[in-house]
Amino acid sequence: MNRRNFLKRGSLLAASGLVMPYILPSGRLFAKTMSRKVNHVVFCLFAGGIRNIESVHQNEGNLMPALLRGQGSTMPGLQPVPRSPRPRPLQEEGTLFKEMRYAQGPTGHFNGHTVAITGQYTNTGLNLQENPQSPTVFEYYLKHNSPSQTALNAWWISNALGPYPALNYSKHPSYGAQYGANHLAPTQLFAPGVYPAISNPKQFQFHEEEAIGKVRNFLNDNFSKQAAGNGAGIVQSAADRQKISDFTQSLIAKAASGGLNDPIGMPSRLANNDVYTITFAEEVISEFKPELLAVNMTDVDVCHQNYTQYCNNLRKADYAVAHLWSHIQSTPGMANDTVMVIIPEHGRNLEGNSIADAYGRFAIDHTSDPTSREIFGMILGPPGVIAQNKTVGTAANPVGETIDMVPTIANLLGFDAPEVKSILPGRALTEAFA
Amino acid sequence: MKRLAIVLLLAAAFLSGCQEETAETIYLYEVNPVDIREEGADKNSLKTDLEFISLAYSDLYGSTPTDQELINLVTAYNTMGDKELVADIVIRNLLNNERADVPTAQAMRADVSTFISETYKRFYVREPSEYERWFMEDLITNDPNVTPEIIYYAFLTSNEYRFF
Repeated sequence: MNRRNFLKRGSLLAASGLVMPYILPSGRLFAKTMSRKVNHVVFCLFAGGIRNIESVHQNEGNLMPALLRGQGSTMPGLQPVPRSPRPRPLQEEGTLFKEMRYAQGPTGHFNGHTVAITGQYTNTGLNLQENPQSPTVFEYYLKHNSPSQTALNAWWISNALGPYPALNYSKHPSYGAQYGANHLAPTQLFAPGVYPAISNPKQFQFHEEEAIGKVRNFLNDNFSKQAAGNGAGIVQSAADRQKISDFTQSLIAKAASGGLNDPIGMPSRLANNDVYTITFAEEVISEFKPELLAVNMTDVDVCHQNYTQYCNNLRKADYAVAHLWSHIQSTPGMANDTVMVIIPEHGRNLEGNSIADAYGRFAIDHTSDPTSREIFGMILGPPGVIAQNKTVGTAANPVGETIDMVPTIANLLGFDAPEVKSILPGRALTEAFA
Repeated sequence: MKRLAIVLLLAAAFLSGCQEETAETIYLYEVNPVDIREEGADKNSLKTDLEFISLAYSDLYGSTPTDQELINLVTAYNTMGDKELVADIVIRNLLNNERADVPTAQAMRADVSTFISETYKRFYVREPSEYERWFMEDLITNDPNVTPEIIYYAFLTSNEYRFF
């Protein structure tokens, strides 16, 4: 072999090592993907429609002291909220994108959520009863992450039902339910009336389960059609299903024993759905330590009728997010190995509507005016991964869009494979990286 | 009379000749045609979540749910992404209620054949095939662990129950 051939073969071998899949000792095919920056991402949709005017511009004083630096608000009508469990505002533990944009499409809640979860703007009307057309961040993760993970590692915790459960997977022919996340709408599940429908399931003994399996297998063997598929929810193993069933029952027991009263340290008389939703997200984190969890809050949407209550709910959401971050930092396995990404799904109009609250403040809708496209973003994480105490973007020079969240998460968790990048129009917000 | 005898003789000769010809017919030994379609093959429509839960309720309780009960059941169903899991929890919950019309194991074993027929009619809206009847009878007779609750639960969580 002459020198030229030696170099040629050597370089080919090295190149193949970079791009070819290989077999792990477990026997699983391990396709190389981009490297990870962290092993967990929590995506918090600080949603319901929040204006930058009340959040980062602090026109009412600082209504978000847990997230932002600034003088507290003295606005009349504000309810007391517990102090943040973090020693300093969260913006100092990461990067604040002070001026981001929800650039296209109607400023509707479900549109905004869909854009954030899929990384694609939707300019067409959305069918509220259907899964989105474009793959969700959960599907990208479960299809392209390597080594592959199960839905126990991907969770979508929604504040409400309506269209939101449909965001755990898409109708995209190359993705779909088999890559869907576990969805949970805990505040609905534990609502009075609903709770009894699940709180006392018949428990079968092991030998009874065996007999059930025998009968059911016989019945299914005699009927060729299956109820599985996109209409039947996500796909996961019986073992994983059992873990979630056990988890649900443990939550039921905890709720029944009063263990969920005064959620996350907030008196129950003040706690709203957002606070309870974050409480259950923390329970999922404690139990499963998921690699990817998305959770939303929507109670600020009371702003359509009551501006003062909007401000109150903004403060509660602010506290809840800080509590969530604090919980992550006290969870072994996730502490110092998690990035939390925070954005509202869209803003609200500049002008109020005609509904005045008890303080004479006018309520505000969101009908796609320029102000309703203004949002902020925050990316928190370990100092070696995320730039600390950094602020980017101005009104004159906004940085980042809603569609950038999915590429950013894909980059952080290392599933930004070429196939993923080719679908997504956004970019990873590298300004936040250390 | 003599003419009649000749006619009969000729007729007998003709008929016997015919019989000789049919003796050469090839006989085919085969089973009768059998319809091998699966039972329930005509069920092609997947029940909606609402239909599935509403029917499970009425099949177990013998009455339709009130509007509020149905709303609560469907809400529970929609709160979890794994539909197989949440359907299982809802069905187990329905089953674990004194309102569920489930015969005793003693009644089932006293007349297994009737129990099987009624179970198929209740949940699958059809009679069992001979094979299904044989299998279920054998299972119930020989496995003391099998109870009506187990049979009902297996039917309610089977694929055929999800279809019309």
